[in-house]
Parts: sequence; structure tokens; C-alpha cells
Amino acid sequence: MNFPKRTMALLTGLIFAGFFTLAQAQTGEYELDGMTFGMPEAEVFTEDYDGPPVAGEYLTMLPNLKPLDYEGNKHHEVRIDIIAQEIEVADGVKYNAWTFGGTVPGPVLHVKEGDRITFVMKNRSDEEVTITEPTKEGAPFMQQTAQNNFMKAQPATMPMPHSMDFHAGTVAKDDKWRSISPGESIKFDWIANYAGSYIYHCGTPSVLMHTAMGQHGVVVVSPRDGYDTDYEVDKEFVVVQSEYYLKKGAGELFQYDFEAALNVNPSHVVFNGHQTILHDQPLEANAGDRVRLHVSNNGPSGTSSFHVIGAIFDRVWMEGHPFNEMRGMQTVLLGASSSATMDFIVPEEGKYILIDHEFADAEKGATGTLKAGPRTN
Amino acid sequence: MKLPTNIIPGTLTLPSLVVVMVFGLAAAAWAQPDRVLVPSGSFHSVMPEMKGEAVPVDSFYLDITAVTNEKFAGFADQNINWRPNEVPAVFTNKGYLKHWQEEGHKPDYKHIGRERPVTNVSWFAANAYCQWSGGRLPTLNEWEYSAQLMDFDSSGEVNEFATKLVGWYSSVDTKNLGEVGSTGIETRVGVKDQFGLIMEWVQDFKPPVADDLSLDCGTVGRMQQLGNAYSYAASIRYITRMSYNPKSSIGTMGFRCAYDVDPKLESNEP
Repeated sequence: MNFPKRTMALLTGLIFAGFFTLAQAQTGEYELDGMTFGMPEAEVFTEDYDGPPVAGEYLTMLPNLKPLDYEGNKHHEVRIDIIAQEIEVADGVKYNAWTFGGTVPGPVLHVKEGDRITFVMKNRSDEEVTITEPTKEGAPFMQQTAQNNFMKAQPATMPMPHSMDFHAGTVAKDDKWRSISPGESIKFDWIANYAGSYIYHCGTPSVLMHTAMGQHGVVVVSPRDGYDTDYEVDKEFVVVQSEYYLKKGAGELFQYDFEAALNVNPSHVVFNGHQTILHDQPLEANAGDRVRLHVSNNGPSGTSSFHVIGAIFDRVWMEGHPFNEMRGMQTVLLGASSSATMDFIVPEEGKYILIDHEFADAEKGATGTLKAGPRTN
Repeated sequence: MKLPTNIIPGTLTLPSLVVVMVFGLAAAAWAQPDRVLVPSGSFHSVMPEMKGEAVPVDSFYLDITAVTNEKFAGFADQNINWRPNEVPAVFTNKGYLKHWQEEGHKPDYKHIGRERPVTNVSWFAANAYCQWSGGRLPTLNEWEYSAQLMDFDSSGEVNEFATKLVGWYSSVDTKNLGEVGSTGIETRVGVKDQFGLIMEWVQDFKPPVADDLSLDCGTVGRMQQLGNAYSYAASIRYITRMSYNPKSSIGTMGFRCAYDVDPKLESNEP
């Protein structure tokens, strides 16, 4: 009876092969100090996707942060596509930005320490994508940009290779952060092993050019056990500082000024991507509120000496990690791609100015307003 | 008076220039009107593997302008496999000739222009076209060498040109491309628009060193061999081109063809 024997051998072989693959998968992913490393290989592929460029429940437009409404950890499915977009970044200053999701900075992603993220990104830089039409699909970010199109975003194209580098992820960059051509998509997993606010940006050379053209954003990873003062927090915002290096082009639009970029001489230094947005649309709170800011300096090249005029930071967690706690700080120095989570108590009704206390930056735009109403309770 | 300098000054000596000019005149008679002879010479590459050494390039013929929509339509007419609705998926990503808005396989010239350079063509398609037309894609070194054969009065002018070039690399209006020959940018042997119109496929657009460079943040720094604005612009061009794959069909990518020099003529070279 050769036949059953062979079948048995085949089956045994298959089972062994199965174990082998399983064993491989297990050695791929591993735990160390309560964290998970060893993500599967990234997948580069083409897809017909032409839906909303930003999808996922916990993606919002600055300065908003979507509250985490789940217990324990979650597996997020996140999409942030790359699109070119004509945007206004200061009064009368428009340029064709290279963006994640259509705005500069890109959407804020909120996750919890230990969450797993399956990230998909399509390079749609060769395709006109509209982000300002009301849609029920996609992330909260999509509704927010449709309702509040302060950048006057218009679809544009500028085909280029691009990539995604999440500072919140711990992976091999030559796999996960690799460049993809227009029309291609990439998919990979990462685990938010460390709490804090982390920038993400395009890592395709010239990185200076790609980030200065607008390809950066923030992931806020909330600590598993929170911060000490969580229960007292009344308002929570995300503020990103960044530089533009623009000069007038031949037509109406402004263009990348590489000499200014190389010499770190920005034309604009801004909060949340626009020179006056945090004055035009101030942050709002009341006297007596504990306001929490997640502040990230996305650069690409400058530093920020972040201060709030009229307030002192009650708590500061450098990089947003709960162990890095400081108290009573007037100014928080943030290098390029550095962040802090900071609490302050709004002392009384009035205006409070968020400012980069490096005044050259402030006068190029790095200021904003927090408008405080009267004490309510 | 114009100084006959390379864009990277000082690589072309006077005697060789004379030879080039005489040779150029002789060759012009042989040449077809839409291509010119690019005489042999050498240039400084921004590639880190070629530190300090000039890269020699043999003479070759190069199309004066990029291949136009109309010319490419002629090719697609005669080669059914390269029509937009027929092309095998292994040779191109989606987006192949997507700007043609074709009925069947004819481009809509009212929108895209006969004389505008064809774009949204994969490297495979560009290769097939050049073979069909009796040529080949220029090599990376041939293309770059030709592009540097420009006259500038001063290094200040080179910097100004390169600065414009970087601005252009940051923002190309793919829907309103100019016609071929419209940039006014021309090399001293008459090759037009190597800058300012589209980016172009070359035979070895992803050279082996691309993997070593690993295309990350330090790459630009390693390509600043020449220490001027031009090398920054060049590094952006090299890196962008290297990051594509042969199936990429992109609104900024077109091509022109190169042709080998007749062996008999070659033997006359000093």
C-alpha cells in the first residue's frame, strides 16, 4: 500500500513545513522589557484605491486630538496617503505642498502605548485628490478639513518618490521607511512601544526638501497608565511648530528656496502650518482650567523655545514620556523633531500668547493665541 | 564674451574643443535633423563612487528634444501592444498614458498638445520606443554628460541656474507642460530642454550603487562632491530617478533616445 504511505509522508511533511513557518513567524516577533519588536516585512503593491486619503478613527486635524475611548490596547488600521496640494500658509502665500493627507502638518494620529498600527500609504502625488468636500468616509480629519478649509486647499500634482518615517515606530528603516513611486502603495505594521509625542516625516532624500515642502506630522502615544494630572485636565490640544522656506516663483505661487533652507533662514516659522491660524482661530479655555498641550517641533532644522506668555508650565513631560517630568518651567527647549507634553493652569480671563521665545522665529510667525473666558466653577 | 566652460568649470581643454568642433561639423552632415552628435569627453559625476575622477563618455547621437505625444502615438499605432488599453501589466503600472484621454488609442491633442513631450510612459515603454526608432535610451552618464555641456559666464550664473533648477524640481505643472524646445535651455551642441520641461528616463536609472546609497538622509550629503548648487540639484535628480521602478508611469517622466555613432566614424577619432 504505497499510496497511503506517500500521503502520510506528504502530510507529515506539510505539518513540519507548517511548524517551520510558525516557528519562523514566532522568532520574527519578540518581546523585550514588555515591548514588542520584530515586525513582518513591509509590502509594496499597487491598488485601485481612490477613496479618502486619510482613514482611521483616531486621526484628526490640528489642534484637535481624538480622545481614546477604549480600554486596553487596540489594533489600528490607519491610512495616510501622499498627495500634492496647493495651500495657503500665510496671507497671500500659496505653494504646491507635498503632504501627508493634504494639509501641512499632516493629520494627528492618537494611539495608546502598546497599540499595534497597520499602516497603509499610497503615493498619489501624480493624482488630483480633493480633501475639502464633505464626506462621511475616512477619518474625522476628513470632516474637519472640509468644515475648516483655512488653508484654502486645492488639488495639485507633483509626482515624486516618497516614504514614511514614524519616529514612534521602532523598525528597520530600509524595509518599512522605503521610498515608493507615484501609483505604488506600502503597508507595514509597527507597535507604539514608547509613550510620547513623535513626529513622522518623509525620509526620501533630500529629506530637507521633502520635509520643508510639508511632509511631516505628529503621532501622540498616550501612556498606558496616563500622566499624574490626567483627571484634572480640562482642555487638550496639539501644537506643531515648523518652518517654511519659500520664495516667489515665476507665477502666482511660491516655491521652495533651497538656499534659504540650507542656510536655515526660513521665510515663515509657524504653528500648525499657517502663520496666523492660532490667532485667527485661537485655542479656547476658561480661567482655572488645566490646559494640556502636546507641542512638537517638526523643524526641519530650527529649534523652538516654547513659552506661553502669562503662564508657567505646571508639569512638563519631555518627549511626552511620563517618567520625564519637570515642574515650573517658563520655557521648553525643543530641538528639531523633539516634543513635550505640558500642562499649565490658565490664571484669569484674557489672552495668552503661545510663542517661540527665539524672537526671530516669533516675528516670522511662531505665535498663537489662547483665549480664556471667565472662571466658570 | 562667453567662456566656453562646462557647467562644472574647467573640464574641456581648448585643443579638444577644436577637435570637437571640426568633428561636430563633419558629423552634422551625417546626422538626421532631429538628433545631434554629442562629442566624446568627460564630466564630474555626483556619484560617491566616482570621487574626484572625471567620467569619460564616448561620442553618441542624442535626440535634440524629448519624444513628443505625436511621435509616441505613431509608435503606438504601429505597435498594438503599446496602446494604452493593450499594454501588458508587467510593463507598466496603472497610469500609462493616462493624460491622453484617448478614444481607443488616439491622444486628445486639443488637451495635451502634439508637440508636448510624452509622459506617463514606463521605462519599459521608453526602451521599446527607442529600439523601434533604431536607437536606445541614453545611459545615465551619457545623459548627465550631455546636460552639463552648457555655457555660463561665471560660477555665479551656474548657481543662479541651479537654484532655479531646484525650484523647478519642487514644482512641475504636469497639466501644462511646455512644447519641446520651448525652455530656451540648450547645450552647446544643440540638445534642448534637458532641464525645465520634464525628467527623463535613462538606460541605467537605478545603478548598482543605488542600493549602497540606501537612499536615506545622508545620501544628499554624499553626493555633494562638487560643492556647488549644481551638485545639489543633480543629487535631487539622481535620487528621484533612482527611486522609481521600471514600471513607473509618471506625469513628469518622459524620455529621448540616443544612437551609437557609426563605427567607421568612430575610428577617425584621435
